[in-house]
Amino acid sequence: MTSRVRPGRWLLAVPMSLLALATIYPLVFTANVAMKTRREYILDRFSLADALRWENVATAWNSVGMARYLANSVGTVTAAVVLLLLFGSMAGFALSQLRFRGSSALFLGCLAALFVPFQVIMVPLNRIMADAGLVDTYPGLVLAYVAQFLPFTIFLMTSYYRTIPTEIVDAARIDGNSVYGVYRRIMLPLGAPALLSVGILDALFCWNDVLIALLLMPSTEHRTLMVGVTSLRGQYSADIPTFASGVLIAAIPVLVIYLFLQRQIADGVAAGSTKG
Amino acid sequence: MTSVRPVVAGRTDRARHQRPALPGAAARRGRGARRSERLAPYVLLAPAVLVIVLLRLWPLLLGVNFSFTGDGDRDGTMVGLDNYRELLADPLFRGALRNVGLLVLLLPVAVAIPGLLATFIYLRVPGHRFYRSVYFFPAVLSPVIVGAIFNLLLAFDGPLNTVLGGVGIGPTDWLGDPDVAMFVVVGVHIWATFGMALVVFLAGFATLDASLLDAARVDGASLPQTIRHVIVPSLSRTIQFVFVTTMIGMLTSMFGLLYVMTSGGPEGSTYLPEYYIWIQQGQMNRPALASAASTVLFVVMLVVGLLQISLLRRGVREA
Repeated sequence: MTSRVRPGRWLLAVPMSLLALATIYPLVFTANVAMKTRREYILDRFSLADALRWENVATAWNSVGMARYLANSVGTVTAAVVLLLLFGSMAGFALSQLRFRGSSALFLGCLAALFVPFQVIMVPLNRIMADAGLVDTYPGLVLAYVAQFLPFTIFLMTSYYRTIPTEIVDAARIDGNSVYGVYRRIMLPLGAPALLSVGILDALFCWNDVLIALLLMPSTEHRTLMVGVTSLRGQYSADIPTFASGVLIAAIPVLVIYLFLQRQIADGVAAGSTKG
Repeated sequence: MTSVRPVVAGRTDRARHQRPALPGAAARRGRGARRSERLAPYVLLAPAVLVIVLLRLWPLLLGVNFSFTGDGDRDGTMVGLDNYRELLADPLFRGALRNVGLLVLLLPVAVAIPGLLATFIYLRVPGHRFYRSVYFFPAVLSPVIVGAIFNLLLAFDGPLNTVLGGVGIGPTDWLGDPDVAMFVVVGVHIWATFGMALVVFLAGFATLDASLLDAARVDGASLPQTIRHVIVPSLSRTIQFVFVTTMIGMLTSMFGLLYVMTSGGPEGSTYLPEYYIWIQQGQMNRPALASAASTVLFVVMLVVGLLQISLLRRGVREA
């Protein structure tokens, strides 16, 4: 790729680097504080921790029941993503490759749901869940996540499957596959790149959610990790290094995923904005 | 650029017209349609439709209906517009709406920052790949984590005030001063989310015709001129999309930040409708009032979204 700007572009690098620093620094600062003793932090907020001390992290991990919260998060997010990908790819395949009565109405219905934010349906949804006995249960939270992110998932899967030539499906039908066989043997494998992108995005959305989990999981042992983070503040208002450690623990999984999969995450976001 | 169509509807339309004749139909007719095959599309869609109708669209109707009923003693009875009257009389809710106005005013900033940065990255500033991955990172962090980090940085005895004190600026109570707190929370929200808009802009740039830029350079256009006359008109659809999604994001995804950073305080100055809904439904046990606030939020979103689309369209036509 050749450059498209004149030598003046080096000037732009200055504000951009400063901004990059402003983006990274808060996290670096937090990680540094997590490694300090309380005394060190009070004496000087900025000095580098003189050693990698993990005892704050251990304290945060053990005292708030973080292991439990982490397990809650991993379990609900995994279940939600599996269901989202399954339902989303089934619907996307039907809406993009099959002709049937009412298909455009159904597609528009799914799109309309995109514009209904959770806050708008929060109260009635809580009531529906309570009537169904699903409040404060794992299936209830998983269902709520599926309902929340399914329209987006269907939208992306439909636009991806539209790019697949219909001849492939035709050929498979001539070979004697049923519609379901085409979905299982052809559409699922072909959809892998889109499923990966959408799956990671859905996982991030569910993982980062706090409002839905706060609403539907009132009891302490059902807390997800992010709800757990919100309770750190009250617990460690006087012990900033341990507070910072808890925040760090919660940030690490996303940081690791980002380092390995940022390409797919960005592709998913880009696809959501340019396709349709 | 002919007329700009709404982002989503326009595209689905076209995609549908371009869709070739679908498979299966012909083959099916040739072999005598089997019933299970005819029903297959509906079977494939059933779980998705069930979930969306039962847990998204039905609650929307239920909520609107619910907003006209009473709370507590009057639970289930129709009370007309009482909830809405009470909302408009509540200084907290009025403050929340004022804050929505503030968000709308700050919106151009939240769009311009990622737009400019995407332009620089697209023009291949040295190290553009590095910048892109750094800027995008906060966008994948939970608002709860972002809020907790900034609670540390912005504490009254925290690092930011220490630095400012070092250069002789007295400490500011960033999250405790009613005149400042909302701006701070919005600032943190922009810091945390501009990476998303940046990626969307870059995706828009990928569709840009590079020869236009070359032509502008040959004609000796300056960077601001190039942005104004080449980039903005070519990316009008992306810009519209970012405006609308950023607005929706500001109205519906700041809960985590508000909850962790200010809890609506100080003096109720950082309420947004979503936070008000949460408090009324959970803390105050006023679900019907909360539903009315939900309905108002939904209407505000629709109005702002439609206004934006029409304004931006007109702007593009005049440019």
